[in-house]
Amino acid sequence: MDVVLTDFIRALRNADVRVSTSETLDAFNAVQLIGYENRATLKQALSLVLPKTFDEKMTFDACFDRFFARRPLRALTPESEASQDGEATGQSSEDTASEGNASGQGAAEADAPGSSHSSQSKAAEGATADDESGAAAPPDVAAAAVSSLLGQLLMRGNTMEINIEIHAAGEQVGVQRIKVFTQKGVYTQRILEAMGNTPLQQEIAALAQSPAAGNRQLGAELNRRRDWLREMVRGYVEQQFLLYADVTGRRLREDLLKNVRLASIDGRHHRLVQDVVRRMARRLVAAYSRRRKVFHRGQLHLPRTLRHNMKYDDAIFDLKWKSTRVARPRVFAICDVSGSVANYAAFMLMFLYSLDEVLPKVRSFVFSSELDEVSGLFQQYPMDEAMALALRQYGNGATDYGRALADFSSLCLDEIDKKTTIIILGDGRNNFGSSRLDLMKQLYDRCQRLVWLNPEPRAIWNTGDSEMRHFSAYCHQVDECSTLTQLERFVSGLLRYSR
Amino acid sequence: MTDIQQIASSIASIGEHLESHHYICSEQIATAVYLAFHLRKPVLIEGPPGVGKTELAKTTAAMFDLPLIRLQCYEGLDEAKALYEWKYGKQLLYTQVLKRTLDEVLQGAKGFAESVRRLHEFGDIFFSEEFLEARPLLKALQAENGCVLLIDEIDKSDHEFESLLLELLSDYQVSIPEIGTVKAKHEPPLVFLTSNNTREISDALKRRCLHLYIPFPDVKLEQRIVQARVPEIPDQLREQLVAFIHKLRDMDLKKVPSISETIDWARTLLLLHAERLEPGLVRDTMNVILKYQEDIENVQPQLAALVREP
Repeated sequence: MDVVLTDFIRALRNADVRVSTSETLDAFNAVQLIGYENRATLKQALSLVLPKTFDEKMTFDACFDRFFARRPLRALTPESEASQDGEATGQSSEDTASEGNASGQGAAEADAPGSSHSSQSKAAEGATADDESGAAAPPDVAAAAVSSLLGQLLMRGNTMEINIEIHAAGEQVGVQRIKVFTQKGVYTQRILEAMGNTPLQQEIAALAQSPAAGNRQLGAELNRRRDWLREMVRGYVEQQFLLYADVTGRRLREDLLKNVRLASIDGRHHRLVQDVVRRMARRLVAAYSRRRKVFHRGQLHLPRTLRHNMKYDDAIFDLKWKSTRVARPRVFAICDVSGSVANYAAFMLMFLYSLDEVLPKVRSFVFSSELDEVSGLFQQYPMDEAMALALRQYGNGATDYGRALADFSSLCLDEIDKKTTIIILGDGRNNFGSSRLDLMKQLYDRCQRLVWLNPEPRAIWNTGDSEMRHFSAYCHQVDECSTLTQLERFVSGLLRYSR
Repeated sequence: MTDIQQIASSIASIGEHLESHHYICSEQIATAVYLAFHLRKPVLIEGPPGVGKTELAKTTAAMFDLPLIRLQCYEGLDEAKALYEWKYGKQLLYTQVLKRTLDEVLQGAKGFAESVRRLHEFGDIFFSEEFLEARPLLKALQAENGCVLLIDEIDKSDHEFESLLLELLSDYQVSIPEIGTVKAKHEPPLVFLTSNNTREISDALKRRCLHLYIPFPDVKLEQRIVQARVPEIPDQLREQLVAFIHKLRDMDLKKVPSISETIDWARTLLLLHAERLEPGLVRDTMNVILKYQEDIENVQPQLAALVREP
């Protein structure tokens, strides 16, 4: 049974639930205490031990249900068996009995799906079950009538035996190498082939054309059982996919997304990008959420020293130094949301607002020609909606940096002080309008840091109507910022600098 | 002791005993207490405010008849307030009182080195357990017959404090430089940590805990909770009231009403001798369940419809 649990934990890890070794041990202890008998209790117990956030609990629920789902076992029912064995009446009762036995074992087996636990013991069990049926009944007529090996196996209908075969075939074709979901069909087919599907297929075809009614009936039954086998194999592949693949494919895509130009990301990937951004943000929050104190070396804090040393009978030996808590930066983000740059603005704002634990004071402004504050939108609506609203309201106009800077200055020049960081996101293409560099200089002088992020590749800056050369004279930092990785690097730098 | 063992013998028994202490819980919660008891693991409880996180720890203590030691976390909480502190005053007083004795001890000692050597013969009396002021965490370790330790609102504390807890939570011991390692006496305490998720708790801490998420209960469970807490309330009113609260929780509000507010409201209505919910009555008592004017204004216009609907 332990293999089941480790397999399950592996599937969990694949589904992005972080499970450490110590948690695995806890899970074993919990299972020893609770047992496998009651599925609901088992689920509750494991959900206490393994997933450690609300999101992970959701994933866990889905994963548990999929992993421990009962495999369909509707095919091998006694009724169908009886009808098929109509001619050999004397034997049918024996047969149904052994059949019931087999399906009973099958149910037990389904409780522990994907169980590759010591296949030898299972094989032994299967063998004994086989011996028994062999000893009890005269040679199985139905099975003997079928010539292909797989067909005989199917007609014997021992679920355990079939499962072992599926596993063996799976190993043979290397189902563990499955990577993306489109391969499921291929692997199902390959496993069936390895089990000897082709001779079976031929036999079924031959039987269907046979003149004898009994043979045709047998062919139909064989066909039905083959379909059932396919279901079984499909279920097995599904499970292996859960265990081995699923995320490798997704991780691949995520890695790609991190390095692709944001503007060229397709709309249908936006969900995934949001996930990536959220995860990056969480990592940054974890790294920077400690507030630092800076100690002024050599400056004695006299009142605190005296107060602190009172308990030592006023003998001053424990000195206290002056320190200041470093204030969190105030960030003003100004984003160009005209057609070409809008996508980047969306991602940057998403990033900044995902960091509200470490950057609580982000104010955002958007412009194409006019500039206005949109912080309220982001507080009021979820991220997507806020962005869409901002774009609809301010997105359609010709870019005018001069006007935007003038608007910004009149809105909040007074609030910019030595603790403020201003981030401007834009391509610097000003349609040959006035760039109001005087205002840039004013901002530059007042703020702690002024950063310009340009989504265009550095090579085409300063071409055409781009004013980057002039603007960058009044910036503390100018960066290219067109992929998520660059964005993350920039934000990380922002946090480190202002910590 | 056997009593405790008996109560904790099965998940169902824990559920029943919690219920007899007026704490109605889902099976998930009972399972958590069961595992916490048998695996001796701390439980980190998360969930929206007012679903009975703190109450669970209190009730568990009452159920096992163990003392409850509570540590309320806040920003700036440090080891001097959570773990231990030296009794400076007492140390000072004793040095003053013992000055004469010290003189006698040191009499005839030649030179500084010999004086120090003589003092050393008496050991570090001033840094022994006599002068140690135990704070909640140390107290919990020293409790004779075990206890329930509640570390409330861990998310309000600093990162440093979280790291301080790690040793305690994994090994039930703390290291004090002057004395050594203090281990739990007999029974390690049952530890409950609660968090409102105002910030992410570090992975290291989470790894050492069982993680229990308590969501808002479903209608049936909440009805049982109200019945257990306010048994005098008429059945019809109780059903209406719980249904109404659940409708509010589905709405987009700044702060949705929690279980504790449901219970408060039930008590209020009982006090007003209400037989069933009326729009007027709800309007007058709304400030018991909704704590923001904005929310109240949002709900007001839909009130009649909300109450009428079955």
